Amino acid sequence: MSEQEEKEIAFIGKITAGITHEMKNVLAIIRESSGLMEDIMAISPEAMIKHQDKIQSSLIRIKDQINRGVILTDRLNKFAHSSDETIAKIDLNEMIEQLIELSQRFAGLKNVVLKTNSPEILGLSIITRPVLLQMALFTSIECCLDSMPAGGEINIFTKKKGKRNEVCILCEGTLPEKPEFARSISASEKWPALQEIAVSLGGSVTLDESAYGIMLVLMEEIR
Amino acid sequence: MKNLKILLVDDEEEFVTTLAERLQLRGIQAQATTDGEDALRLVKSDEPDMIVLDVMMPGISGLEVLKRIKAQNLQIPVILLTGRGDTKEADEGMRLGAFDYLVKPVNIEELIKKMGAAIKSQS
Repeated sequence: MSEQEEKEIAFIGKITAGITHEMKNVLAIIRESSGLMEDIMAISPEAMIKHQDKIQSSLIRIKDQINRGVILTDRLNKFAHSSDETIAKIDLNEMIEQLIELSQRFAGLKNVVLKTNSPEILGLSIITRPVLLQMALFTSIECCLDSMPAGGEINIFTKKKGKRNEVCILCEGTLPEKPEFARSISASEKWPALQEIAVSLGGSVTLDESAYGIMLVLMEEIR
Repeated sequence: MKNLKILLVDDEEEFVTTLAERLQLRGIQAQATTDGEDALRLVKSDEPDMIVLDVMMPGISGLEVLKRIKAQNLQIPVILLTGRGDTKEADEGMRLGAFDYLVKPVNIEELIKKMGAAIKSQS
């Protein structure tokens, strides 16, 4: 990636991070205002306010949506800040969780659910290019989505073998025969781009023909 | 907690005034301001028992307000509010002597709990 491109990404990240702070303020105001309404309802005699039950259920919905907004804003904020440094120490499992949250909508359009299941390796830190790594994860998801029918799940998890870190992106559901599925992924127009990104990360990407998926191999520290 | 004098400082006026109203409904004497300079003036004139202070504000930042309060050797506990997902500024605030911090949007029960802990730590 050229210096100019890195500056462009950092610029987008900075502006996005700034906006997420503003969005948090908006959510904070909505939360306090709905909270005040709840407080007033709680101290008012029932007869004074008509349709209390409907107001209360609306307030619960507002609260739920605020919580949803807070989670999304936090994820977007972290995503934006990932462009702060070109190379940084990151927690691989945390980054996978974050990217899954941000990509859920894309998978949802194909009725596919994204999940992660790396309970055995907590705090798996690597030194890498955070933006590029997220691109690799997202492109892997896209390759899988292009090759699998509607429905099913994509499970993303990590494995550690010495200094080698593996990210497995496995498709689950009603899928074609394994060789056909592997051919379909490698024929995806995103596959060459994914290979290129993996090389830029100092790693590699391979098709796991035995297990319906992609394996991304990353070094502990990018050189 | 009742009759406790709290100064709330945040540049988001709608947020800080609504939060003050909610605390007042719980019997807490909450006063709100949107400006760091005004906060420093109110600390002197009204002698609040505690300050709830936003970290990121235009003009004098929350961290600068905290620094100036601590420079005057005032023993008022300060709870910081941060809007950031990461806790870099909150950590800096803790280093400067804040009692604790909360990430916005604030859960009022959590805030009251922290306020209680701050008062307890003073006695």
